[in-house]
Amino acid sequence: MSYLENNTLSLLILLPVAGALVVALIPRERETLQKTAALLFSGLVFWFALGLIRGFTASPAMQFVERKAWIPAYGVSYHVGVDGLSLWLVALTALLTPLALLASWSSIDARIKEFNVFMLLCEAGLIGVFCALDLLLFYVFWEATLIPMYFLIGIWGHERRIYAAIKFFIFTMTGSVLMLVALLVLYKAGGQSSFDLTSLQRVEIDPALQMWLFAAFALAFAVKVPLFPLHTWLPDAHVEAPTAGSVILAGVLLKMGAYGFLRLAIPLFPHAAARFAPWIGALAVVGIIYGALVCLVQTDLKKLIAYSSIAHMGFVMLGIASFTTIGVVGAVYQMLNHGIATGALFIIAGMLHDRRDTREISEFGGLGGVMPWFSALFLLVGLASIAVPGFGGFVGEILILVGSWPKSPALTIIAVLGIVLAAGYMLWMIERVLHGPVKHASNSCLRDLTAREAFVLVPLVVLTIFMGVASPLFTRKITPTVNILVHKVSMETRSPSGDAR
Amino acid sequence: MTIDFRPALPALIVALTGVVALVIDAFTPRAGRSRTQSVCLTGLAAALLVTFSLPVRIGCPACSPLTGGSVVSDTWSVALQALVLVVGMLALPLSTAYFRAIDQDRGEQNALIMFAIAGMLGLVSSVELISLFISLEIMSVALYALTGSRRARSDSQEAALKYFVTGAFSSAFFLYGVAWLYGVSGGTTFDRIASTLASPLGGNVGCALLASGFLLVGFGFKIAAVPFHSWAPDAYQGAPTSVTAFMSTAVKVAAFGALTRVFHGALFPLADRWIPLLAALAVLTMIVGNVSALAQRDLKRMLAYSSVAHAGYVMTALVSQPPQAAAAVFIYLVAYSVTNLGAFGVLAVLAKDGKEPLTLADISGMARRRPFLSAAMAVFLVSLTGVPLTAGFIGKLRVFAAAISADHAVLALVGLLMSAVSAYYYLRVVVAMYMEPPQDEDRWANVTGAAGLVIALCALAVLMLGVFPERLFAWAQTAAQTFR
Repeated sequence: MSYLENNTLSLLILLPVAGALVVALIPRERETLQKTAALLFSGLVFWFALGLIRGFTASPAMQFVERKAWIPAYGVSYHVGVDGLSLWLVALTALLTPLALLASWSSIDARIKEFNVFMLLCEAGLIGVFCALDLLLFYVFWEATLIPMYFLIGIWGHERRIYAAIKFFIFTMTGSVLMLVALLVLYKAGGQSSFDLTSLQRVEIDPALQMWLFAAFALAFAVKVPLFPLHTWLPDAHVEAPTAGSVILAGVLLKMGAYGFLRLAIPLFPHAAARFAPWIGALAVVGIIYGALVCLVQTDLKKLIAYSSIAHMGFVMLGIASFTTIGVVGAVYQMLNHGIATGALFIIAGMLHDRRDTREISEFGGLGGVMPWFSALFLLVGLASIAVPGFGGFVGEILILVGSWPKSPALTIIAVLGIVLAAGYMLWMIERVLHGPVKHASNSCLRDLTAREAFVLVPLVVLTIFMGVASPLFTRKITPTVNILVHKVSMETRSPSGDAR
Repeated sequence: MTIDFRPALPALIVALTGVVALVIDAFTPRAGRSRTQSVCLTGLAAALLVTFSLPVRIGCPACSPLTGGSVVSDTWSVALQALVLVVGMLALPLSTAYFRAIDQDRGEQNALIMFAIAGMLGLVSSVELISLFISLEIMSVALYALTGSRRARSDSQEAALKYFVTGAFSSAFFLYGVAWLYGVSGGTTFDRIASTLASPLGGNVGCALLASGFLLVGFGFKIAAVPFHSWAPDAYQGAPTSVTAFMSTAVKVAAFGALTRVFHGALFPLADRWIPLLAALAVLTMIVGNVSALAQRDLKRMLAYSSVAHAGYVMTALVSQPPQAAAAVFIYLVAYSVTNLGAFGVLAVLAKDGKEPLTLADISGMARRRPFLSAAMAVFLVSLTGVPLTAGFIGKLRVFAAAISADHAVLALVGLLMSAVSAYYYLRVVVAMYMEPPQDEDRWANVTGAAGLVIALCALAVLMLGVFPERLFAWAQTAAQTFR
């Protein structure tokens, strides 16, 4: 057992890979067995992730650290660990993957084997990204998530899936090659001896070069978040992806970008980060307002949820750009809330699509009477998404706003406007779908939630309420790490070398 | 002084095997199938054994052998000869399978491949310009014949003619450069040239630079660098696909092996002058290769432009300091060879009844009928794109790290942005295989036997080198000891 405890993170990364291999070896006809195996493995990953949370102590230190030489001649090591920034994101990945698999249990009806293989590989890559403490390892995992997601969108997506898949791939890859160049320049500046994050953090970098390197990293991460105006891949990818793909995309993949800022771009180049912060904050707020406004005119359910993600991730970036402990903690917390609420929204959109084969909001109406249980959960998830008090999102957004107020009141006020708009588009959408008379005959006999669907949705709803009332349980483990990070940035901007120019 | 012939032994063995193969074929009934594949494989294996058992010199890329003669056995030549031989051994089964599928299995193509390999082995071990040139010609003439070996098809003839004319043209450039260098240094051995260039040249520096330029043009044709690449798409498209697989990999290995030795050995004293030129060519090659590939409809033509682009990536490594440059070049060549051989190989083994897949429509939905072959092709394409956990990423990592270490970050930036562009045309093939509906009827061959094994080996190598590159790095380090 102690071996497991010492290698929990490797287990979390390798278990999905093992699962993918097992699924790949199951004969093609045994589809239920393939689905069960994939669910079992991802469930097992979640079980170990729970152990990870239990074993994690609220301190700023890296925990569950493992380190093995990978390419010693080149200074690359397999170095993984979790701290307050990554712990909950690992848990989020481990939670959403089995739920996404379960949500697509019957809606994926072709090439089931490959679907499950790619889902598991994607999970492994995502957990790897959040655990990696070696820059090259990080890059490897970062890119490794790209391939399974590309296939998930391209094979099982909707009508324009191929366009969306290629667009997603090229956007992300362009961003990440810039990161690779910056990474190699940094490696050279560090004496070409190590890709390790801790040793590269100690490298003294010329302020002018720092700006360039930060810009390259930031661009890669901003594409992923996505920060306005680099968001154009997102609506296509999220809308065209199958339900499980959308859940993982919105729930976890977007967080890779924000996490990249916190884990790499800011600690490596604190000086440049402080200089760029007002711009990032401004773009984040533009994203909040733009996303919300676009949501108001959507007629497609999934598109609305996709654009709302841009707005929500704008809040996350606003919190990060504030560089206050409260703001950054709020950003990390908001990532979890957004992952759960938006994941649930995409699952709900998927359930409607399964029943009616359409995503048009105008095709629905009056579902409240037809599917009472479904509608109740839909309403709760919608409220969670727009940060109504009592749900986790409220805590996250309040923390972000409180944190960003002292830095820039103007941006904060505009962001609050975004919350109002969010209430507008979400409640209006809910009204059009759930309330009023049943307009289409085909809606009058829709089946309410099945046991499987309830098993997917209820935990997410319960969790988001729990996160709204018991937030200290979560933030307690986030804060110590964030304190160190914020301290580092403020030291850097105050130190004389920071004002060299 | 008695000359030690041992460094030439691998090339001689391979050439003799080629002759034996020709003789065997002469006594085989015309209708029968060629039986020379196993003979040729044995010859290559023997040459590989001999290569590794020769005494190896370390350091001094330009030095002549102590015992006289013009070919050496040093770490660089051993590494590249081994690579050429392995590529040859992998290409032979593909060639046999392909020529059987187009019903033209007469055996002389095996002999021609042997002769080409003999030339390549000489190319990477020569330390003297005349033997370098002769090796280049041995290789090239065999390849011209191979390109035109699908006699029934006019595009094969056309490709051979184009390749031959431009090749002859480039040989003339090369020879002219040799003549200028001889004029400057009074000799053709690399050590003589290097020592002359290292001393004050006075008015001769212009002549030396001119000579370097001519040599670069000559090599530029062979590696298909822009603007000397125009033959490549036609030749790669028209040549029998298995020949394309062989020549797009082995020729690049041999030509880059020789290019590295000439420029980082003989011409190294002038490095400050030729590095900007090489860097400019690299940028041009990466951009033109990738952008042209975007517009291609024919799969072979697309892969041809892609291999032009890959030549550009390798060239970026050459701007750095010798040991690092050589190590990066070697790593990239290994990664590129297994990947590209596999990619063209997949197209070759699908050939049936004289037809083969040429367009995206021909392979649409292939993943349903041939999951393993499609998976292998996807691995090759992802590796060509340069995504981590494949050999292609390791290769790109090393060449661009080399460029950055020499403060040529712009080269790395262009190269990596172009990799993102390349994702578009590589992924189109994956889209066709995995995301498009399959064709009504299955027109292509089922892959079995040795050719299938080759594809599997290539795919396995791409993944193994991508996940555990440590051993490859160690080999490269050894290979680069020549340039210490």
